[in-house]
Amino acid sequence: MSIGYAFSAFFGILFKNEIPEDVAAALGWVRRDSKPKVVEKPKETVGPGDGALQILGILQRDARLVDFLMENIAPYTDEQIGAAVRGVHEQSRQTLERYLQFSPVIDGVEGTYAKIASKDPAAVKLLGNVPADGKAAGGTLRHKGWRVTKTDLPPLFAHQKTDILAPAEIEVA
Amino acid sequence: MKPILGIDLGTTNCALALASPESLTLLPIPQLVNPGEVQSPDLLPSFLFLPGPADFPAGSTALPWDDAPPYVCGVLARKRGAENAGRLVSSAKSWLSHAGVDRNAPILPSAAPEGVRRISPVEASRTYLAHLKDASGLDFAAHQVLVTVPASFDAVARDLTLKAAAQAGLGEVMLLEEPQAAFYAWLERHADWRERIGPKDRVLVIDVGGGTTDFTLIAVHDAQGALALERLAVGEHILLGGDNMDLALARFLEQRLPKLDPVQFQSLWQQCRAAKEALLAPDGPAEQPITLLGRGSSLIGGSIKGQLTRAEVRELLLNGFFPQVASTDLPERQKRSGLQALGLPYSADAGITRHLAHFLRSVQPGELTAPTHVLFNGGVFRSAALRERVLTVLNQWLAAEGAPAARALQGEDLMHAVARGAAYYGRMRQTPGGIRIRGGVPRTYYIGIEESLPAVPFMKPPIKALTVVPFGMEEGTTHRFADREFGLVVGEPAEFRFFVSTTRREDPAGDLLERVTDELDELPAMEVTLPANAGDAGVIAATLESTVTETGLLQLWIVARDGRRWKLEFNVRERT
Repeated sequence: MSIGYAFSAFFGILFKNEIPEDVAAALGWVRRDSKPKVVEKPKETVGPGDGALQILGILQRDARLVDFLMENIAPYTDEQIGAAVRGVHEQSRQTLERYLQFSPVIDGVEGTYAKIASKDPAAVKLLGNVPADGKAAGGTLRHKGWRVTKTDLPPLFAHQKTDILAPAEIEVA
Repeated sequence: MKPILGIDLGTTNCALALASPESLTLLPIPQLVNPGEVQSPDLLPSFLFLPGPADFPAGSTALPWDDAPPYVCGVLARKRGAENAGRLVSSAKSWLSHAGVDRNAPILPSAAPEGVRRISPVEASRTYLAHLKDASGLDFAAHQVLVTVPASFDAVARDLTLKAAAQAGLGEVMLLEEPQAAFYAWLERHADWRERIGPKDRVLVIDVGGGTTDFTLIAVHDAQGALALERLAVGEHILLGGDNMDLALARFLEQRLPKLDPVQFQSLWQQCRAAKEALLAPDGPAEQPITLLGRGSSLIGGSIKGQLTRAEVRELLLNGFFPQVASTDLPERQKRSGLQALGLPYSADAGITRHLAHFLRSVQPGELTAPTHVLFNGGVFRSAALRERVLTVLNQWLAAEGAPAARALQGEDLMHAVARGAAYYGRMRQTPGGIRIRGGVPRTYYIGIEESLPAVPFMKPPIKALTVVPFGMEEGTTHRFADREFGLVVGEPAEFRFFVSTTRREDPAGDLLERVTDELDELPAMEVTLPANAGDAGVIAATLESTVTETGLLQLWIVARDGRRWKLEFNVRERT
């Protein structure tokens, strides 16, 4: 028993720089916390999908994007679709610009030569005759890429149900 | 110098500007724009929503300074109000100036279903002002606060605006007329204004807001080498504005479309507003498609298509609201029927040019007062076509009278001028020698005096009108009417009938009109109760005194022989 405590105390002090709780208790020492415990408000748990659902909900609310994407558009003429898309597009763009700030990954003219600014394949993707070592000085810029430089989404309020993208609507007569 | 806050308490939008000696800036106004989302645009839409249990998810109407506000104010109020109109308060300011209702009584929303709590027009105005105060995070007591009102607001509406400001905790506030504020904003933006206007010029300010139209004429004088500004006249209260124009377009287009629900109609209204500006632009398209998306989840399948053409918009707006008329054409007068529904007294004539002709012909009776410059204000005039139409019509009148053509003052700020101008005016008041528009009270006020005659059955005693506030009475002046003594019963409210005229401008203080003519409009009565414990013999002999305070507030006082004074208050409780 005392051998056990001795080992525990020895390794505790050696590795953690403190005397283990049970050793202290057995020796009759009472540990005092140097800092009082801070009582924290229960935090709203934000799930992994909440951010994605939030922006989808906003795009549905402002631009009805989910309605548009989920509709079967096969039976409609291009003219009908075009007329509706103008509004959806305009609203979607306004909404995206309000909550997110965009910039290109490479600020160049597409179709002209551009230097490779990053070795991260997630930021710059090499196409065509990619050398064996994956290193190249530059090439023709095919797509400037999109980068979000700032997000300004409203904080989720308490008990917000992000799984409801749009409420059902009932008009009371 | 105290920093200054200028508040534009508009019919459809409010704005807030802050001035110090060095700078003048518009302040952002945090407000709910969606449930759970606060943003800070520079306008606060003057809409108020009284949320019920079915309107917003729990906790989603919290503001940074209030976890559970009783009302929702601004963008979200306007949005939700389109879906649930029974809980939306709008145009509270027009109700505040509506003499036909009790403005302290809970009457708004006028369309509220049974069981929904209502609020008074004064309470609605208080809420907007309190929101501006809380949202700014500023200590208003450490600022000089100016609130603007339409020039056409009478003494009662101004009094109620001040009451709302006091209830909102704004402290000592000063009122300024909106067209004057717009002109001050123009002065502020043009340090070289003395080169742009000169002696003998007359500037006509045409302010067409969302819901009201307001005219003011300002004269430029030579005062010992310096330029002095004087407000010559203000127009009558006209409930007609930009919203009427967009609504007219929406109603016109609605006739050609299948039946719309309220949300679709709102969308139509919004799109008509945008289409109007596109179609009236100098190189705008000949037609503008309008698409109302399907209401259900079938967006394309249920969509409704329409279009507006430039010709239609020109016909409806230019000829409907700004018709080419002669300067002798008068607006149609309001026809009051006994069965009129309880609502706002909207103008019976949509022709703004006719109202303008009437105004310019009423400054000097029988002749057209010719302005030399025009300053436009209000979002309506973002359209160059509408500005040009007003100038064209005005210049036709001037040419017919042999007067030189008027020119538009360039460089106006149509949406924010009133708040900025109010802040600039506050700075001028604190600057020694700062430029000020002199003007005084733009109306004549009368107290009714009953003649002492033997009572005749079914006949009210004839009433005479004593001029207590002459036209143009200046701030900081007082008139005493020592030769007219009243006997007032102690302990009972004494009531005085009160009248106003915008057209009679020559009656001097103390002048007695033998009868109340059509040129006089009756306002709510003024009343005073003399305290019963005064130890008097039941009746006190007293005289009247009228004062216009330094802040432009009109006051009437009862002065007893021994010098004691009591202030008369408007009785807005009963209908007039």
